[in-house]
Amino acid sequence: MRKRSGVSVFLIVLLAFALLAAACGEDTGDGATTTAGGEDTATTAAAEGLKFGMILVGPSNDRGWSQAHYEAGQYLEEQLGAEMIFLDKVNVADLPDKTVDQVAQDMVNQGAQLVFLTSDDMRDGALLAAELNPDIPMIWSSGDNAWAEGEAPAPLDNLGNIMGRMEYGKMMAGCAAALTTQTGSIAYLGPLINDETRRLVNSAFLGASYCWENYRGETTPLEFTVNWIGFWFNIPGVTLDPTQVANGFLDGGADVILSGIDTTEALDVAGQAADAGEAVWAVPYDFDGACELKPEICLGVPYFNWGPAYLKVARAVIDGTFTATWEWNGPDWTDLNNKETTAVGFVKGDGLSAENSSTLDQFIAGLADESINLFVGPLNYQDGSTYLADGETATDAQIWYTKQLLDGVTGPSE
Amino acid sequence: MSWMRPLGRALIPIIGALAFSILLLLLVGANPFEALGLLVKGSVGSAASLSDTLTAWVTMVLAAAGLVVTFRAGLWNIGVEGQIIAGSIAAAFVARTVEGPVAVMIILTMLAGIVGGGLWALLAGVLRVYGKVNEIFGGLGLTFVASSLATYLIIGPWKRAGVASTGGTDPFPRDSWLPTSGTLRVSIVAVIVAALAVVAVYFMMRGTRFGLRLKAVGQNLRSAVLFGIPNKRYLLLAFIIGGALAGLAGTIRVTGFHHKLVSTPSGAHGYLGILIVLLAGFEAKWIAPIAFFFAAIAVGSSQLPLQMGVDSSLGGILRGVLVLFVLLFGGWQARRAGTRLAAGSAPPVETVILPASPGGEG
Amino acid sequence: MSLELRDIHKHFGPVRANDGINLTVEAGTMHGLLGENGAGKSTLMKVLSGFHAPDSGEIILDGTQIRASSPQDAIGHGIGMLHQDPLVFLPFSVIDNFLMQSPGGLRLNRRSARRQFEEVCERFQFSLDPSASTRSLTVGERQQLEIARLLWLGARVLILDEPTTGISAPQRVKLFATLRALAEEGMSVIFVSHKLEEVEELCQRVTVMRQGKVVGHAEMPTPASQLVEMMFGAPVQVEAAQPIELGDSLLRVKDLSVKERLLSIEALSVDVRAGEVIGLAGLGGSGQNTFMRAVAGLVSPAGGEINLDGKQIAGLPYRDLLDVGIQYLPAGRLEEGLVQGLSITEHFVLSNPDTPFFVDWDTAAEHAATAVTANFIKGRADSNAEELSGGNMQRLLLAMLRPRLRLLMMEHPTRGLDIESANWVWSQLLKRREDGTAIIFASVDLDELLRYSNRILVFFSGKVISEVNASDTDVEELGFLIGGKVRENQ
Repeated sequence: MRKRSGVSVFLIVLLAFALLAAACGEDTGDGATTTAGGEDTATTAAAEGLKFGMILVGPSNDRGWSQAHYEAGQYLEEQLGAEMIFLDKVNVADLPDKTVDQVAQDMVNQGAQLVFLTSDDMRDGALLAAELNPDIPMIWSSGDNAWAEGEAPAPLDNLGNIMGRMEYGKMMAGCAAALTTQTGSIAYLGPLINDETRRLVNSAFLGASYCWENYRGETTPLEFTVNWIGFWFNIPGVTLDPTQVANGFLDGGADVILSGIDTTEALDVAGQAADAGEAVWAVPYDFDGACELKPEICLGVPYFNWGPAYLKVARAVIDGTFTATWEWNGPDWTDLNNKETTAVGFVKGDGLSAENSSTLDQFIAGLADESINLFVGPLNYQDGSTYLADGETATDAQIWYTKQLLDGVTGPSE
Repeated sequence: MSWMRPLGRALIPIIGALAFSILLLLLVGANPFEALGLLVKGSVGSAASLSDTLTAWVTMVLAAAGLVVTFRAGLWNIGVEGQIIAGSIAAAFVARTVEGPVAVMIILTMLAGIVGGGLWALLAGVLRVYGKVNEIFGGLGLTFVASSLATYLIIGPWKRAGVASTGGTDPFPRDSWLPTSGTLRVSIVAVIVAALAVVAVYFMMRGTRFGLRLKAVGQNLRSAVLFGIPNKRYLLLAFIIGGALAGLAGTIRVTGFHHKLVSTPSGAHGYLGILIVLLAGFEAKWIAPIAFFFAAIAVGSSQLPLQMGVDSSLGGILRGVLVLFVLLFGGWQARRAGTRLAAGSAPPVETVILPASPGGEG
Repeated sequence: MSLELRDIHKHFGPVRANDGINLTVEAGTMHGLLGENGAGKSTLMKVLSGFHAPDSGEIILDGTQIRASSPQDAIGHGIGMLHQDPLVFLPFSVIDNFLMQSPGGLRLNRRSARRQFEEVCERFQFSLDPSASTRSLTVGERQQLEIARLLWLGARVLILDEPTTGISAPQRVKLFATLRALAEEGMSVIFVSHKLEEVEELCQRVTVMRQGKVVGHAEMPTPASQLVEMMFGAPVQVEAAQPIELGDSLLRVKDLSVKERLLSIEALSVDVRAGEVIGLAGLGGSGQNTFMRAVAGLVSPAGGEINLDGKQIAGLPYRDLLDVGIQYLPAGRLEEGLVQGLSITEHFVLSNPDTPFFVDWDTAAEHAATAVTANFIKGRADSNAEELSGGNMQRLLLAMLRPRLRLLMMEHPTRGLDIESANWVWSQLLKRREDGTAIIFASVDLDELLRYSNRILVFFSGKVISEVNASDTDVEELGFLIGGKVRENQ
């Protein structure tokens, strides 16, 4: 008797669900098949518009990394009449009961013919989802699995990578900071530590040092400090609090904070300090509109413009010509902020003085015509070992996989 | 008729929460029926979604089954969350260091989780029994320690080569993953383990001398002493059993779901377990259906932002509303029960929330 | 304030605790409510004081019908109830307990409350220290605190449920004086008891209940035999204890000392022989219970020896002593004897040391049903312990005693029981002497001590101040030993 009553409650709960499902059951039931044939969907895609999935690690309105991807998705919708299905805050803290691969699977089940997995953190989920859905093209942005010359190739016919050459953006950011600093102390608010983030810290440091020495003619070394919070954005109780870390930078004498995280705490904290009368500035990251929160102390923002690269992939999927490649796209040096062409851009902020602005333009021109190449030896790692020998120009692999922070940067390399 | 009361106890807050959620959905301009339909479809509407729901269900059920034991012993084992994490860490340790065929790895990782969770709970138990530290505070403190330990391991000794991210360790070798079939993510092994755990707890509480004595300890420690029950031993055993099941849940979280150690491996399933047990009136037989409801919401709610474009926080809000309604309703029942029991000394657990159904069946 | 109850019905499942009760209490009178245990007296009073909602019926106060759905409501109408075990919060001080439920919202005016408390105490000559810990009060003093509180809250009808159980003779005298004074002020007092002599002494009018119904009213004085017949249907004979041949020395306590926060026992020595019955007399809290708990291994002695059959047992936990044949029954039947929320069947299973790991519930329920019948417990095997009346709880506790015991210790074995139940309890206990079981019991009922004991130890302040043979003494002398010493010491 007692057992049966337990079962009956279970059935009642199920029944309630079933009734609800029936009440709103006009859905087409596209979720029933788990792996739709890729070629079929690819050919029909052109006729009725592409449906693609976009998985974001943070909120879609973070004024940073995730919003840049989200707006690229909207760009695809405009350009192609495509339909985006997206889910934001896909990380273990915000979405504890779904893994990345499950979310990708949901999107495929909903009819997505292409899925963008837009965080370095999604490597395992991307590989698993691509493996389980071999006919659905996927892009793991910022990843390296499709790079045959990379250190951890994991080639899958349907999983490609796209990344922007943000080194240039970070060099510009570092330069703007070095030109502006009054204390000679710059801080970098780092996310987690990996090849990508070391690469970007080193780029910012190289740009800063160059401008410090060559344009300002300083002989005392520039102070360049990095501190890492542990993830791409704040997860209370797990990561360090970026607001506290940024405040710590200012307390430690830094007057410009470069942001390396997905969200805007560096600009927020510097803005509060500036309101209190301090002479401090910040350089946000990732998203072209990031300066808008506090333009007067914003020196500018290096940002990703994923739209063109994603558009290319989507067109290839529609045409049935998709191949899984690793792409590392540079800025459009002829028109740095052209949204149709560039992969990486830099928008100057109101905090940058007119004089420093023209100096920065000079620096950018040097990068564009390759008269300035900062990844040339001699450069040493923090522990004194050689990164690039005298006169040696770094290969892509050497830039992508920097093993340590460079000599001159204060802060842990791993 | 005996099932009417527990059914009402569980359904009234759930229905209240649903009604409130419908209101919320209307406020944000979403069609509530479409939303609820999506919830259902996203949780049980297809083999894939049902499989995801069952995956979440397994760990909730295990945590809740363990909590039935501790609640019956009169213990508020809030530390269950930490015990899940401790189980995850122990299982991750085995998965990372031991190599063996799948069957061996299943057994070893599960044993590790049981030991890890059990020991972590025993710590709270020793603090409670010998140190007179209330298990709520001890448990919360130990949860904090476990959670910090997980983060430390992930960015410290167990970090990925050249990486320091709280995102997680390297994935375990495939032999340490709980086996699944096809593209479905649920492991039949996990479902069987969870079902066995519920049945075992049900029969332990209902059919054994141990369960009866535990209940006596939970209801009235002083009377239990006069029945010759070694109450300290029973309290510690309750902690160990509760922690072992929570640890097992931790194992399944990392070997059957994340496939690596992440900084928050429990996903708050321990706290949800507490809620489930409160709704279940501390009875093992109600756990499975109530946990299924919670798992369905947890999994299905991701469909709302995905398909309707409403904010992705809504699923969390829905869960929060449910918690609130359970507590409100529980408080209301406790007040009614309090009036009735005022002449006697109601046991601590009962005064806080629902009275257990009369003897003989628990 | 006059009170009228009309056709009150209250059922608990199949049990008709109150079955159409009519009762009228005139203002300024003391009204006795008599009946054996389980007759429905306590239920009726709980209905009146708002603890239980009646299934049907009306409560009329000074001509107006009232509805009391909680004790707070009831006291708002002027109905206050003093429980058998006063409901005080032990961790709190006397004044905090006094302030509990005080009207006037969140803001407590402690100073004026304290002054009012002292006024009430003075009026009735209660000597209560407002800042003392409630834990240190005797049951009698807790009653005084509760009465003071109810009066302060505006009680005009005072219900007392078996108020004299557990308090000493001098405290009883003081209580009765208080009640008379209250009645003179126009207060209605309902006095629930099964002790005829008290009702005779106090009340002007008596209502007798049996099996949930009113069986009659009587104006006092009415001959006791007539009241007894109303209560039980037929006159009851008090059974005298048959003397029995005592066995060898069984329990030897030498120089026992126990240190507790409020009381220490020092250098206490007693020898008990098999089959002997030892009564412990004294004011509540003089060390009788501490002594028994020390022998039972429930509190650890600070020094001394305890030997059972020549074996040292001091320091062993109670559960080990159970196995060598020592059992202890506390006074708080629901507080530390039974387990609320567990059924009678579950209690029998718990108490049976031979229960296998897997419980056979069907057989257990059959056994319990048999035991319920055999021990005249008014309840069913699946009734929960807290549903039983006080007397039936005691019957259940006795029924759960292990079959073979060397030493049985009890606090107040017949407290709150009617004559019939008390006789039954003692007949069960005395039977055990035939197996050589020794019995030690504490009681405040001098008749009980004299009737059943071989020897009586009189406790005062943690010491045995005298030891008398029950056959060599009488109520007067014993009362003097207990009360006289108190006077000398005050």
